[in-house]
Formats: sequence, C-alpha cells, structure tokens
Amino acid sequence: MRNAILKIAAASLAMLTCSVVQARPVSYAGGWTLIEIANRAQTAGLAHYSLAHNFSVGLRHEWQREGDVKLTAVQPTLLVKRWFGRDYQGNLYLTVGLGTATDESPNNQGSEPASFVGVMADWETRTLFVSYEARFLEQGVLGNHSMHAARFGWAPYVGDTGELHTWLMLEVDRRRHFEDKTSVTPLLRFFKGPTLLELGYNLTDTGPLLNFTYRF
Amino acid sequence: MNKTTPLLIAAILSASALADDGKHKMDHHSGAEMNHAEMNHDHGRKHDNGADHGHGSHDHDEMAHDHVDMAMNAAGITHTDEISEALANGGAPVVVDVLGVVCDFCAMAMNKVFGKRDEVAAIYVDLDKKTLSLVINDGSDLSDKQIEKLAKQAGYRIAAIRRDGEAMDG
Repeated sequence: MRNAILKIAAASLAMLTCSVVQARPVSYAGGWTLIEIANRAQTAGLAHYSLAHNFSVGLRHEWQREGDVKLTAVQPTLLVKRWFGRDYQGNLYLTVGLGTATDESPNNQGSEPASFVGVMADWETRTLFVSYEARFLEQGVLGNHSMHAARFGWAPYVGDTGELHTWLMLEVDRRRHFEDKTSVTPLLRFFKGPTLLELGYNLTDTGPLLNFTYRF
Repeated sequence: MNKTTPLLIAAILSASALADDGKHKMDHHSGAEMNHAEMNHDHGRKHDNGADHGHGSHDHDEMAHDHVDMAMNAAGITHTDEISEALANGGAPVVVDVLGVVCDFCAMAMNKVFGKRDEVAAIYVDLDKKTLSLVINDGSDLSDKQIEKLAKQAGYRIAAIRRDGEAMDG
C-alpha cells in the first residue's frame, strides 16, 4: 500500500509540475495545530488534529477574496514520506478537502459542493529551506482554481532550542485565475517554541502576507 | 478534475495511515525503521548492552544496524536545571541521537510525547547536538524499544542510545 501511495504521490508531483508549504500540516500523535493564512488570494483558518505521526484531520475555512467565496471543508492530510538525516529533514504530504463553497458576492450564486486535492513537499536544514505546494480546487459555478507555490528560505543564524529562529524567505506563486498569474512575495519567518509567524509583502499584487501557526 | 478524485484520495490516505501503523507494530525494528547508514554509529561503544546497563531486551539483530563509518558525535547529556535536579534525585541519564531534528516543532513533538511518560523525570531536546536528553526516574525503566517507539510517535527516528556513564560523558 505504501509503495502505491508513493507512486501516486510521485505521479502527482510530476503531473502538477510544482508548489509550497505552510507550517507542517501533520504533527505528533495527539497534537493539535492552528494555522492562519492571509495572502493575496485568501484569508483562511485551519485547525487540525494528528491521529498519528503521519495523518491528520482538520477543518478549514477560507475566504477567497477575489470572488468573495467562502469555503468550509474537512481536510485530511497524509505524511506520505519523511526523509531523515542528521542535518536535514524532507517531507512529502498529500491532502484533500471536501466541503461547501458559498458565493458571498452580490451575484449570489448560492452554494456548491467543493473539493480539492493538494500536494506539499519540503526539505530543510537549520539554515536552508525549500518547499513546493500545489492545490487544485473544484467548486462548480463558483470557479475551479489551481495554485502552485514554491519557496526558498535562508536562516542568517542558527538558533538553539527555544530561541527565536529567523528566516528570510522568497515565495513565488502562480494562480491562473488571477490577472497577475505569477507573483513574488519576500517574507520574514519568525519561529519560537510552538509559535510561527510569517510577515511578507506581495510585490506583484502589492498586498501583505500574514501567516501564523500555533501547535500544542 | 473528476469529482470522485478527492473521495478516492481520502480513502487512500486513511488506508495508508492505518496500514502504516499496523506495519510498525509488526515490524518494529526493521531496517527501514532505523537506517543507521545515515549516522556514524560506533556499535560497540554506543550500544554496550552489558549487564551493568540493565536493558538486555535490546536485540541487535533486530536493530539491523549498518556499521557504516560515520561520526555522529557521541554527545553527552545536556544539563538544564530540570535535568540536573532529576539526576541529583537518583535518576538515570539517557541520551538519544535523533535524526531529522531541525526546528522547535521537532523539539516540541518529542517533549510532548516523552513528557507524558511517568518514567521520564526530565527531558530536553538539544537542536545543536541533535540529541534527546532524558532522565529516567529511579526505579523505572524505559527500554530502547520503547524509546524508539515514542520517537516514532513524535515523527522522528533515532540513531543511537547511550545510557549511564556514556550518557554522562558523551
């Protein structure tokens, strides 16, 4: 079964051509994670609980600002593979979402069943970070969207346990349904204990990025 | 995208996660679980399971160690106030080399999982040394197998375990 999953993941990666990662969407067994995302496309919240070290189930609510659509979905995520080394860690995740999207715009096209599939991959040391994320969303007349994002990060210093970790990052995302299909966002990541905060500014769409994660 | 695709993938995700757990229960010490090729493991020194260490349940054949020429630092226990106090109270030191520990979320996961155990008097994850320092309560025991299993629950893999004198000296 695991081999089959790996093949599916590899095929997905090849097919999707590319994308990036929020804070890891799977925690330790029994761990909770709260994630807030605000970027040029959406404002979203995700709460998830890890049933095992490689599987979490979450509830996602997002507001797609451009279309004024609100999506609520159940989102299971599988850590397909984690690569371990003395100085690095790599991860490959697959995720899906099933829920409802509602048109909040003056057009008022009502609600539609919504679903998405996503793939996320990252590799990091204590000073380098590379990630990719893709999501394909279907929500009927409310729009079918695809998103790819890639990120590169560098930590100017190495912090020990419990200290403030700081990263300089650059994210490039591509969204076909946007007028500016490709955009660039430099950002700062601050990481301390159970809390992660990202502050950035989209240079293409001239808007802020604000991501927050809390794990417990 | 076909609307049934997410449903199929959701089913696959669930099945895979469950299948994975089952596998680990049956094949706890498979080579895949502990890939010692990635760490410079001095077998004789780091896993001296002599009678004085009192953890004879450790099965070296099952551990499937690769005796690769590697030089993972044999770091000693990290002394925090909590660890020093636990040692002063008669606790037994254990140092675990952990693979893949790169951030505070990693440290937190191990703190949470190991911290729930009654056997554990003190714990500290050292990102610099890439070690998990434990002090086991006097009169309690936490076998290598249990430590490996707990690390897995936290999402990580162990490379070596040192106890007692080796844990203190590094």
